[in-house]
Amino acid sequence: MEATTVSGARIGPARRSRGLFRDAWGRLRRNPPAMVGLFLIVSLVMLGVFADLIAPYDPLAGRLADRLQLPSAEHLMGTDLQGRDVFSRMLFGARVSLMAGVVAVAVGFLVGGCLGAIAGVFGGWLDPIIMRFMDTLLAVPSVLLAIGVVAWLGRGLGQVMLAVGITYTPVFARLLRGSILSLREIDYVIAARSAGASRMRILVRHMLPNALTPMIVQGTLSLGTAIVTVTALGFLGLGPPDPRTAEWGVMLTDSIRFLRIAPYLLFFPGAAIVLAVIGFNLLGDGVREALDPRQRR
Amino acid sequence: MMPLLEVRDLVVRFRTHDDVVHAVNGVSFTVEPGDALGLVGESGCGKSVTNLAILRLLPQPAGRIEGGSAVFDGTNLTSLPESALRRIRGRDIAMIFQDPMTSLNPVLTIDEQMVETIQAHRDIGKAGARARAMELLDMVGIPEPSQRLRGYPHQLSGGMRQRVMIAMALSLEPRVLIADEPTTALDVTIQAQVLELIEKIAREQHTAIILITHDLGVVAGRTKRVNVMYAGFVVEAAPTGELFAHPLHPYTVGLLHSIPRIDRAEGEPLIPIEGAPPDLRDKPVGCAFAPRCAWRIERCWTDTPELKDAAHDGPVRLNTDGSGEIDGRHRVACWNVPTPAEARAGRPLGRRLPRSTAGPAPAGEGESGS
Repeated sequence: MEATTVSGARIGPARRSRGLFRDAWGRLRRNPPAMVGLFLIVSLVMLGVFADLIAPYDPLAGRLADRLQLPSAEHLMGTDLQGRDVFSRMLFGARVSLMAGVVAVAVGFLVGGCLGAIAGVFGGWLDPIIMRFMDTLLAVPSVLLAIGVVAWLGRGLGQVMLAVGITYTPVFARLLRGSILSLREIDYVIAARSAGASRMRILVRHMLPNALTPMIVQGTLSLGTAIVTVTALGFLGLGPPDPRTAEWGVMLTDSIRFLRIAPYLLFFPGAAIVLAVIGFNLLGDGVREALDPRQRR
Repeated sequence: MMPLLEVRDLVVRFRTHDDVVHAVNGVSFTVEPGDALGLVGESGCGKSVTNLAILRLLPQPAGRIEGGSAVFDGTNLTSLPESALRRIRGRDIAMIFQDPMTSLNPVLTIDEQMVETIQAHRDIGKAGARARAMELLDMVGIPEPSQRLRGYPHQLSGGMRQRVMIAMALSLEPRVLIADEPTTALDVTIQAQVLELIEKIAREQHTAIILITHDLGVVAGRTKRVNVMYAGFVVEAAPTGELFAHPLHPYTVGLLHSIPRIDRAEGEPLIPIEGAPPDLRDKPVGCAFAPRCAWRIERCWTDTPELKDAAHDGPVRLNTDGSGEIDGRHRVACWNVPTPAEARAGRPLGRRLPRSTAGPAPAGEGESGS
């Protein structure tokens, strides 16, 4: 049975000489939900990147005369308490929230990956020390841990990204360590050792590329929750130090007091967070399927 | 002459939390330059573990060499520092593995894997290594080597991949090639091709081969000598032809009677070996084959027989079939060697009955299902 699935997966791309990741891209493209996710994310990223060009108003300057207006042709998403254009703030907020999420996951990926690789490759007494530390981090709820880190390092966007990154470290460390431990007994790793490859070479050339797949999947899926955590910190008042900064979490906090009179203020940042999370989850699931040819769509 | 590779009393054990697996229990053999040695035995008899232990590739941390030595060209591999051993792996002693589907890294091109292996040991540029790789692929009969080189393992069939493995193993002209079941995962139609290829290249490069297999048919006519292994012991060692003509150990006799042979009389039944191999977690006591042996005597339960020259040892008769001196010695580890007539019949012929069923009850019989 195993053999049939393997050969079945081989039929499609067999003739073309292309890489693993290009094959995966081909499979991803034929996966509609993943493409919806990719579209959502690319749209949000584009809106954030070109916020300067698209935004009709300054996100920080408001006109008190225009405060709490309903969405209209002039203000697509209305205005907030200070009369700032919500649409413009949403665009600049996308920039901050998405970047914070990406940087946080990158921190978790790199730090966790390094720790996991060290634990997996060198083993010995380092392994239990690193992994028990990771378990301790994992035992603390992530938002609570992030709050603790921000409280310790002080407020600031950099601190927020680092804090959220730290909460993701154990996830990636465990994942990579597990992959490396199982790869140690894999035939091609033993074959490489039998051919005289050094430990470093085996790690870099043979183990990491093969362990990367689950890491990429985990990273994509983590982006969604990282954005939630970043906005949650903003919502709790631990976001960017400048309270005027346009950030989705901060915008939620600012508008919650006016829920009764201006519910739309809550709607737009909330919807944006939901869209971003859905986008990353759809893409993450698609990437998982694309990188694992054994999984049926 | 000093042998190229001498394994002496090798003991390998796997230690887990609460078990000790006695995988290899004092195995000795020698390989001469350009020689071909067969290691035959069923799954789990320790033939692969023996060879992984030679290059110290045992799964860590469970697998350990707990005794004996493996001396390659005057160097004891069991006590060599890892960095020095790394220079011997691949360059002096290379390996081919059983499953070509999993022995190549799926995310690297053939080119990357071959060039890397060559460059790890030779002071040679990328272009030079690539040219060498191309030449090797051509040598092992892969069409359009330059195109194949750019491809990934999944684009090749099993037979092609095993050819690539052979090309890689032989790329550094090693002096010993350990081929661990090199054809087991391949279609019967290409098994012979691959074996011939290994033989041919080894002959050209004057490489000694250790051919590990569970299939007596694979070693027949290919290796000079054969060691038959059972439960971590070498139970019989003989020149290949001699082993087939005059098997001495009951296990070898059993093996030969459990496979169809074209030179046997028509209608002669195949005789299976009853029972299952012993649980290697039990400390070996007596002869490991005793519970399944039709020739067992009292002593088999208590004393472990040593591998001894058959010609010079007490009850053992060796038929030299009049051809004078045989190339190499015939050695067997058995207290009660079957007579030639019995070996031909595949069962004891009416003597030495009653068979001993006494002694320690075959350990683990009740738990063998677990």
